[in-house]
Amino acid sequence: MADTGSKTDIRNSLTKPAGWLSLVTFAVLSLACVAGFSSRLFAVIRFESIIHEFDPWFNYRATHHMVATNFYDFLNWFDERAWYPLGRIVGGTVYPGLMVTSGSIHYVLSLLNIPVHIRDICVFLAPMFSGLTALATYFFTKELWTPGAGLFAACFIAIVPGYISRSVAGSYDNEGIAIFALMFTYYLWIKAVKTGAIFWGALTALSYFYMVSAWGGYVFIINLIPLHVFVLLLMGRFSRRIYVAYNTFYILGTILSMQVPFVGFQPLKTSEHMAAAGVFALLHAYAFLQYVQGVLTKSEFRYFFLFAIVAAAGLVFLAVVGLTWAGVVAPWSGRFYSLWDTGYAKIHIPIIASVSEHQPTTWVSFFFDLHILICVFPAGVWFCIKNINDERVFIVLYAVSAVYFAGVMVRLMLTLTPCVCVLAAIAFSKTFEIYLKDDTTKSNVEEEKQEKNSQYYDKVQPGKKQRIREDRPKDAEGIGMNIKSIIIICLLMMLMLFAVHCTWVTSNAYSSPSIVLASYGNDGTRNILDDFREAYYWLRQNTDDKARVMSWWDYGYQIAGMGNRTTLVDNNTWNNSHIAMVGKAMSSNETAAYDIMRLLDVNYVLVIFGGVIGYSGDDINKFLWMVRIAEGEHPRDIKESDYFTPQGEFRVDSSGSKTLLNCLMYKLSYYRFGELQLDFRTPPGYDRTRGVEIGNKNIKLTHLEEAYTTEHWLVRIYRVKDLSNRIEATFSDTKAKKPKVKYSRKTSKKKRGSLKHKPKVVPGKKPTKKTKTKSKKN
Amino acid sequence: MDVAKKLCFSLLLVVLLVHYGNSTTKKKETTMGDRVSQLMDWSSRKSVIRLNGDKFRMYLKSTPRNYSVVLMLTALQPQRQCAVCKQANDEFTIIANSWRYSNQFSNKLFFAMVDFDEGQDVFSSLKLNSAPVFIHFPAKGKPKKGDTMDIHRVGFAAEQLSKFIAERTDIQIRIFRPPNYSGTLALVLLFSLIAGLLYLKRNNLEFLYNKTSWAIAALSIIFAMTSGQMWNHIRGPPFMHKNQQGQVAYIHGSSQGQFIVETYIVIILNAAICVGMVLLNEAQHMKADAGKKRIMALIGLGTVAFFFSLLLSVFRSKYQGYPYSFLIK
Repeated sequence: MADTGSKTDIRNSLTKPAGWLSLVTFAVLSLACVAGFSSRLFAVIRFESIIHEFDPWFNYRATHHMVATNFYDFLNWFDERAWYPLGRIVGGTVYPGLMVTSGSIHYVLSLLNIPVHIRDICVFLAPMFSGLTALATYFFTKELWTPGAGLFAACFIAIVPGYISRSVAGSYDNEGIAIFALMFTYYLWIKAVKTGAIFWGALTALSYFYMVSAWGGYVFIINLIPLHVFVLLLMGRFSRRIYVAYNTFYILGTILSMQVPFVGFQPLKTSEHMAAAGVFALLHAYAFLQYVQGVLTKSEFRYFFLFAIVAAAGLVFLAVVGLTWAGVVAPWSGRFYSLWDTGYAKIHIPIIASVSEHQPTTWVSFFFDLHILICVFPAGVWFCIKNINDERVFIVLYAVSAVYFAGVMVRLMLTLTPCVCVLAAIAFSKTFEIYLKDDTTKSNVEEEKQEKNSQYYDKVQPGKKQRIREDRPKDAEGIGMNIKSIIIICLLMMLMLFAVHCTWVTSNAYSSPSIVLASYGNDGTRNILDDFREAYYWLRQNTDDKARVMSWWDYGYQIAGMGNRTTLVDNNTWNNSHIAMVGKAMSSNETAAYDIMRLLDVNYVLVIFGGVIGYSGDDINKFLWMVRIAEGEHPRDIKESDYFTPQGEFRVDSSGSKTLLNCLMYKLSYYRFGELQLDFRTPPGYDRTRGVEIGNKNIKLTHLEEAYTTEHWLVRIYRVKDLSNRIEATFSDTKAKKPKVKYSRKTSKKKRGSLKHKPKVVPGKKPTKKTKTKSKKN
Repeated sequence: MDVAKKLCFSLLLVVLLVHYGNSTTKKKETTMGDRVSQLMDWSSRKSVIRLNGDKFRMYLKSTPRNYSVVLMLTALQPQRQCAVCKQANDEFTIIANSWRYSNQFSNKLFFAMVDFDEGQDVFSSLKLNSAPVFIHFPAKGKPKKGDTMDIHRVGFAAEQLSKFIAERTDIQIRIFRPPNYSGTLALVLLFSLIAGLLYLKRNNLEFLYNKTSWAIAALSIIFAMTSGQMWNHIRGPPFMHKNQQGQVAYIHGSSQGQFIVETYIVIILNAAICVGMVLLNEAQHMKADAGKKRIMALIGLGTVAFFFSLLLSVFRSKYQGYPYSFLIK
C-alpha cells in the first residue's frame, strides 16, 4: 500500500514516469489478487479441497449434473430426489450463472487438454473471482476519485473479512461471483454516466445480465441505479448523458434479465422492479418538458408544467394502485417486506426468522467484518459530498442505502462491504496524498500531468484544482517533514493492524468447512472429526437407491449431494407446510410420528447429535425452531409451551417436560445414550453440549430401529420399520376379533350358517322320509 | 386529548369506586346473581374492573361462580417504577376493550385488575412478589398451574393474551387495536413542516445546496446504522445493566448482544474517528500559519489513534480471545 504513495517520488526522479506508474499499478493489483487468493485458502490447506457447508453442495450437485449432461438438460432438469414426493424443477428455480461460469471454465480447460475435476474448479472459483472483484473495484474507484484511491480500494476488498466470509475456497455460492458482477456493473454504469455513450450503457446492461443470472441480489442494482438517476434529476443535474445511459441500460437490461428462467416476467410484474420503470417514465417526461420549455414562453410553460406534473403524478399513482389491485403487479415478497417493516418476519415468517443470516446486525459484527474501514468510511462520504459530482452522488446513495440494509440483515453486510472499501480508500488516499508529498521539491510537472491524464468533464474539478494552486505558496511553510512522517507511520500502523486483523478473522472465523470438524487436544494435536461424510457415505453404500431420508432441512442438500439419496425437505425452503410436516413428525411422540412417516413414505431418519463431542449446532439445539414451525401450521397438535418446564426453560434433563422427553427427536438423539459413560467424572448419559445428565435414559423404540451411528455419534441414522406382518387387534370392529355369538348346544338352531331344516341325525336311526321328500321337491 | 380522556376516565372511576365500594361492603352476603349483575354493571362502564382486597375475595374467591375472570396484578403507581406494568396495562386495556365492544360480549368473562398499592393482601394471598402477572380465574374451582400466563416466554401482547384466554376459556376474542395514527401524523407533520419551511424560504433556497448539512444528514444515518441502532429497534435491549451489587455495566459482556448506552458510546467513538480523519485533511487547506496547521494535524491524528484504540479495546473486551490491541490494552 505504501507503493501508491512512493510512486510520486519515483515519478519525479525518472524520465519515463508513465511507464513506472503502470508498472507500480500493475504490481500492486497483482499482489492484491495474489493476497486475496491465498488468504482464502486456509480451509484447503488445513483440511482438503472440499465443498463447504450446505448451499454450496446443491450448487455443486447442479454443476456436476450440468457438466455430466448439457446446458439444456440442466435447464429442463426435474430433480425427483428433492422435496419427496413433490420434486423440484431445478432449471426454473435456480440462478444458473454460477453453474454456467464454472461449467464453461471446465469446458475451456478440457478443450485445452487440461484435465481438471469439476470439483476443484468449484472449490477455487470464489477465490479466483475475488481477484476479479479487486480489479473491478480498482476501476470503479479510479472513475470516482483517483487511481491511488483505486489501488487502496483494491487492496482493501482483497482481504476484507466482510467479503471473505462468503468467498473462501470451497464456499461455492452465488455471492462469490455476484460481488464481482455487482462492482463491475457499477463501474460500467459510472463510465456510462460519465461518457454518455450507448456503448458503455450496453455493456452495463450485459454485466447486469450476468448479475441477474448469478444472484437474487440484482434487485439492489435495479433499484440503486434508478435512485441515482432520480436524485440527479432532483439535483438539477439532468443531462443527455444520463438520458442515454439510463435508457440504454434499462431497456437492454430488462430484456436481458427476462431471459433468465427463474426471473421470467418479474421485471415487469413485481413491485421490486417498479421503481426502475417509474424512473424510466419520469426521465422521458423530464426530457419532454425540457423540449417543450424551448418552444413555449415562460408563463405558458409554468402553467403547462404544473398541469403536467399533477396529471403525471396522478396517472402513475392510479396506474400502480390499479395494477396492484388487479393482481397484475405482485406486492412485495416476504423477504423484501421484512427489510422495510423490521418486525414483520419475527411475527409472520418463522422460517425466515429462524435463519441466523437474517438477524439484525450488532455493532460488533460491523467492526468484526470491516475493522478500521467502518470508522473511516464516513470520512470518505464526507469528502465525496463536499466535492460532489454526478458519479459521487452514486457512491453516497450506495453507502446510505447499503448501510441501512446491512443494519437490518447480517447477510447484506456483503453488499455494504465493497462500498465501505471504496469510501475508506478515498479517505485514506486523500490523507496519504497530502502527507506523503514532499513540500520542498515541488514541481509543476506532476500537476500538468494530472490535468492531462484526467479528462474531467465536471465543474467541480477545475475549481478544486484552482484552490489547491492558490494554497501552494503557503504550503512551503507547511506542516513539516517530521510531523508528516509521524502521521504517515501512525496511519500505516493502523492499516497493518487491519491486515493482521483480516488474516486472524479469516483464519479463525471463516475458514471452517463445517463438513469436517477439527478438535484440538491439550498438547495441540489436531483431531479430525469426519462423521458427516462417514454417515453420508454409509447412506450411499448401504441403502436402496430410491430410499427416502427424513432429516431437518439444514441437511437436505448434503444428503442429496454426498449421500445421493432422496430427501423430504432441503435448504431451498420453498414449501413451508412440507417443512412443518417434518417438524411435526420430529416433535410428536413415536406413534404419531410413525403415522406421519408412513404418510410421507420415509425409509430412514437422520439426526445430528452433538452430545458426545459437545457440538453445539445439533438438532436438539435447533429443536425449538422445528416446534415453532410445526406449530405455525398445526397449532392444534403441537404447542411450543408443552416443550418447556413450568419455569419456562428448555431442559433435556429429568426436570424437562414430559412431551419433550418422549418426542421423536429426543428419542432418536438419545437412544442408547444412557448406557454411555464418557469419562469417570460424569454419570452415564451426560450430554456435553447441554452440560446435563439426560432425563430419559431408558428409551425404547417400537417403530424405528437404529441403522447406523457414526464414530463420534454426530450423525445417527434410523431405519423406519415396515408395518409388522400381523397387527394385534385392538379395535372392536376389526374382522380378526372373535365372534360375539356364543354357541350353546341347546339352541343349536341359532348357530351361524346353520340350515333351517337340517335333518336331525340321531345316532342309530335312519333319517325320516318326510324330510327326504321335501328336499326332493325343492 | 388522549391524556385528558384518561384523566376523565380515572376521575370517573375514582368516583365510581368510592360509590360502589360503600354500597358493596354493606351487604356482605350477596347471591351469585347479584354479583354477576354487579360485575356486568361495572364492566359496561369500564372494560377493566378495578378491584381491591375485599372485592377480590368477594368476586373471585367466593363460590359458586359461573363466570371466568382474567385478573391482572400490577403496580401502576409512579413510585413503584414499573415501566413494564404500564405497557402491560395498555395491552390489557386493548383486549378488554375488544371484548367489551365485541358482539359476543357476555357475562361469561370479565377483565379485572388489582393494583399493588390498593390490594397488597391480594398479592400476599396469591404468594406473588412480582408484577405484572396475568391469572385466569376459571368458572369452576381455583386457578391451576396453567392459569397463570407465562409472560416471560410469550410476552404480554394483546394477541398473546387473546390466545391464552382462548386456550383457557374457549372464548375467541378478536383484537381490535385502536389504529395508531401517531406515526402517520408525525410523518405528515414533518412533511408539512418541510413544505412550510420551503415555502417560507422560497426566495432563498440556497440552504438546499448546502453540502455540509446534507453530509451531516448522510453521516448520521451511517453512524446510526453502523452502531447497531436497528438491532436495538428490533430486539429492544435494556438501556444498561445493573447487577445485584449495584454495579452498572455499560458494555454487554458477549459479542452477541449490546446495550443501548453501548451503541451511543460506539456512535461517539465512530464519529470522533471520522472527525479526526477530516481534521487531518482540512489541516492542509486551512488558511492559517504553519504552527496552527501542525497542531491541527496532530490533533486529528491523536483523535483518530486514540479513539480507534479505545474502540478496539471495547471490541476486545466483548470478543473473547481476540488477540490484538492498539495503544490501549
